[in-house]
Amino acid sequence: MIFEEPRFSPGGDRYLLIEFGDEMNLELNFLGQALAAAIEEQQPAGIIETAPCFASTLVHYEPEILGYADAVALLSELLASLGPSADIELNSRLFYIPAVYLDPWTRECVQDYTAKINADKQPDPDYVAELNGLNDAAHLARVHSGTEYWVASLGFWPGLPFMMPLDPRCKLTAPKYNPPRTWTPKGAIGMGGASTAIYPEQLPGGYQIFARTPVPIWDADKRFPVFENSICLFQPGDRVKFVPCSVDEFEHYEAQVAAGTYVYNLVEYQKFSVKHYQAWVQSLDFDQTF
Amino acid sequence: MIQVIKPGLETTVQDYPGRIGFRNQGFPPSGPMDSWSFRLANLLVGNESGAAALECQYMGPTLQFEQDTLIAITGADMQAKLDGEPVPLWQSVLVLAGQTLEMKFSCEGIRAYVALAGGIDSVPWLGSQATFHKAGIGGVDGHALKEGQALSLKTTDIDAATAGRTVAEHARPQLGDGKHWSIHVVLGPNDEWLDEQGIDTFLSADWKLSSKSDRTGFRLEGPELSFSEKAYNKGPEHGSEPSNIIDQGYPVGGINLAGQTPIILVNDGPSMGGFINPFTVPTSEFWKLGQAKPGAVLKFVAVTVDQAQQMARAISNTCSLDNIKTMGV
Repeated sequence: MIFEEPRFSPGGDRYLLIEFGDEMNLELNFLGQALAAAIEEQQPAGIIETAPCFASTLVHYEPEILGYADAVALLSELLASLGPSADIELNSRLFYIPAVYLDPWTRECVQDYTAKINADKQPDPDYVAELNGLNDAAHLARVHSGTEYWVASLGFWPGLPFMMPLDPRCKLTAPKYNPPRTWTPKGAIGMGGASTAIYPEQLPGGYQIFARTPVPIWDADKRFPVFENSICLFQPGDRVKFVPCSVDEFEHYEAQVAAGTYVYNLVEYQKFSVKHYQAWVQSLDFDQTF
Repeated sequence: MIQVIKPGLETTVQDYPGRIGFRNQGFPPSGPMDSWSFRLANLLVGNESGAAALECQYMGPTLQFEQDTLIAITGADMQAKLDGEPVPLWQSVLVLAGQTLEMKFSCEGIRAYVALAGGIDSVPWLGSQATFHKAGIGGVDGHALKEGQALSLKTTDIDAATAGRTVAEHARPQLGDGKHWSIHVVLGPNDEWLDEQGIDTFLSADWKLSSKSDRTGFRLEGPELSFSEKAYNKGPEHGSEPSNIIDQGYPVGGINLAGQTPIILVNDGPSMGGFINPFTVPTSEFWKLGQAKPGAVLKFVAVTVDQAQQMARAISNTCSLDNIKTMGV
């Protein structure tokens, strides 16, 4: 549900959490991002930074400038000034990210987990397809790549995007691994809950994995111009469209990345309008499938 | 220049307050775990309290100096010797070119800080020199010191007359026996996910600090905690375990309940994830975490946000030049 009033709770002496609701609803993230944008623009004294996530926003404040009660009052006022969420418009870049679905690398990783940690683990793509009433793994690949993803937040690891499908017809859910994997290939794409993520590095993980991209999504060496202002490719409010490709194409892009000649494919001139988005969702025929 | 002869167990360049302002990209602040001792070390050698200095964990490095400088060692006692002569803690010491500083295993506390006059010179990453070695950024080449590396300082211009300055006894953190710690916590942000009994259990139990603890998280071993109705009656997007929640931002210091293992998220910890944080360790307690030995018993005491802010303020006020004494005064 969406809370009538945002709920505030302290996180120690310097942080507080604002919860907008307790469901994964894009509108809650739009609110968090609009609040972050307003803070970025107005720079209110005592607010150091924010980290919006799906249904909540973490705020880091300076208690020497703003006590907890003052911070809550200031943020409540800012939230009230944002107006109805339908009026929110956010800058939003669109990235086209090549990805091999049902690729050999995530398959090998899952096999390694099955052999060493949990023999009962069904292969991830088959498992997610079955849970979501899809025909097979190939169907999962079509549905998963059939929508733009909204970057709701970055976290867990520098540059790791938590994303949600903008097309509700492509909404999938999946439980997380129990116990988690000890490793995941760099560039693996997977899902947990209703969220999709890309692993920026070889990392432990809990998401069900079924695709992989050759494109780096963070680059501490800033080898590509797109990293000029940030070593992380994405920022909250960006959109991602996965472009299915073959293993041969993957290797082609991989070689370009290694040579430093890869060109990131993105669109930078668009604003995301919540109102227009909602109107589009209303117009969809939910019986259509991909 | 200063040559790293032996790197120690995990010696990193840190600054205070670290890498702030990038939590929405997933960066932790990093920085010294015991920022109380860290700040005093810098003040002793005439630096700003947040200047880049070394954090040594468990076992310190062996460093050979190719220039004259002032150093100060605070925090854990790693039996530092300069050309074989014991180096006093909490005091600025003149080091001459050619001398060697040798540090060993800590016999009291866990983390020692070595500040050098002028501060360590390294390339700042996102506004900070703090090392976040898991991601390979900051510090020297993104990682803990390695044998054969060299450190450069921001100045060679030192005031030898300031050697021998000490920190007033009352201004130093008191490590006690290092085995028992009382740690303040603030309830929240997700305390509503535990029931009253769960909260009582957490606040009354003896928690053992696991050896599987590092700068990303401090694992606690102890009793199981019970959950409230809210942890069971929730939408499927939260996840199936009672401690699962829709992914959310984590405060630094959050006591993260992953299944039944509480993990205190510390300086290099994750910024976001899908587990609840029923309690948060406030800033004023981090020096204790930084000095607590694995196996130590931690007891948690609830305080209000206001109290936690006052305690942090008191430590910041303690880290002041007023508490730096000239020899013999």
